[in-house]
Amino acid sequence: MLFRIISFLTGYITIIVRGAAPERLINMASTRGIWLWSIKWVSQDKIMVNLRLSAVRPLRHIARETGCMFTVEGRFGLPFLLSRIKRRKTMLMGAFLFLFLLYMLSSFIWFVDVTGNVTIKDSEVLKEARRAGLSAGVIKWNLDTKKVELALQENLSKVSWAGVKIKGTRAVVEIVEKKLPPAADDKRPANILAAKDGLVKEILVLKGHSVVEEGQTVKKGQILISGELPAPEIEGEQGAVEDGPAPEKQPQYVHARGIVNARVWYEGYGEALLVESGIRRTGNSVSRVCIKIRNKEIILSGPENISFEQYEKDISTKRLPAWRNLSIPVEINTEQYFELKPFTEKRSLAQAREKALQSALASVKNKLPAGAKVLSQEVERIDTGTRENIVRMKVLLETLENIGVEKSFTP
Amino acid sequence: MSWRDVKKKVKQHFSEMLEIPSDVMLDLPKIVLVGNLQIFLENHRGITEYTPELIRVAVGEGEIEITGKGLQLRNILPEEMCVEGQIKSIVFLGGKL
Repeated sequence: MLFRIISFLTGYITIIVRGAAPERLINMASTRGIWLWSIKWVSQDKIMVNLRLSAVRPLRHIARETGCMFTVEGRFGLPFLLSRIKRRKTMLMGAFLFLFLLYMLSSFIWFVDVTGNVTIKDSEVLKEARRAGLSAGVIKWNLDTKKVELALQENLSKVSWAGVKIKGTRAVVEIVEKKLPPAADDKRPANILAAKDGLVKEILVLKGHSVVEEGQTVKKGQILISGELPAPEIEGEQGAVEDGPAPEKQPQYVHARGIVNARVWYEGYGEALLVESGIRRTGNSVSRVCIKIRNKEIILSGPENISFEQYEKDISTKRLPAWRNLSIPVEINTEQYFELKPFTEKRSLAQAREKALQSALASVKNKLPAGAKVLSQEVERIDTGTRENIVRMKVLLETLENIGVEKSFTP
Repeated sequence: MSWRDVKKKVKQHFSEMLEIPSDVMLDLPKIVLVGNLQIFLENHRGITEYTPELIRVAVGEGEIEITGKGLQLRNILPEEMCVEGQIKSIVFLGGKL
């Protein structure tokens, strides 16, 4: 291989040797250190030989000595290639032009992408970026990304951070928006309802009219703070009503706000077996990569036979996307085999209790909202009276949490 | 027994004693066959005849005759050569090989 590469670099020719004894020429050439290769018999007294360009002059002497003649049949290698290219100047120019154009075109920014924005519009960001000097069609080396980033952060009030990354001909503007508190001027009428059943512990009304009292049990969906304010009752006006048509008592509608903390109970259940048996993974696994051509599978890596007695198989398949109704019936499957083993585990009563309790607690914890404060926890074993292979545990949690949920209504 | 044969015998014993490969010591050709497709020949003294059906190569004492079909010399160097084609037979001719 190396010889081939070197001969390509130095250039080589194919010649046809004619003479009474071409063998003599070959012998003499080889003893004088001329490397010949691909020697082919053409016809009587005629053979085809490859040799390097540098060996042509010595071979001429040898040919004269042995009484052979040779004619050049083909020229190969870099020197000939270069001389051929020299003759085709336009092609060379085209190649350079191509490279130049490729370089030129790739030094422009063709696309500007905006990511990370939720409330700000793309067009707004793009407009600001254009003002700072980043837009489609800008030359890359004239672009100061730091400046654009700063301009975006300063001029767009909702942006807390902006980053400009250039990936090839694409500029990606990354935006992180400020997290503003929810607009407090939402005027649409709304009630606060109970999200779940509970016992109201404390009510803090910011706006609206509280309907329930502390210490009251409420049901899910019940109105806690109403957005409908009853019309103010002005004393003394009662008497004046008689005169004319009473001014109609117009209730006022507001967007109710407030916190309703209530005690809420949650129940969780968990169980554990005293003697548990089944099948589970041992943690040993073997993966295998196969290439599947139609119905034939060829293993690329991994063992041929799976040494596990029992196993689970996980296959992920990769295949080329189908085009129209043509699909290539070749896919690569990565198979993962997990060893399985039967097991039996014995637990003492205390251990089983602990495990059942843990699973009961876990099932409760799933239901708890983020802000809930656990007030008390009651654990109870459900005893069915009969001897069983199972321990059942019940957990009762009492929490204090905000159960109010805003819900708008149309008066 | 001529003087040459005595010299050869001594050399042979010597190479056996010192475990020197005999192709080095005795100037014998070393032939490597790859199936019936290729022959690598080391320690040759040049070719004496070449046609696609028959190649004769001079070695230390005597000749090696390779017959086959479509034989060609893939390369040839002062000490080493490689023949390609469909090889039928290799025959050792003449000399005391």
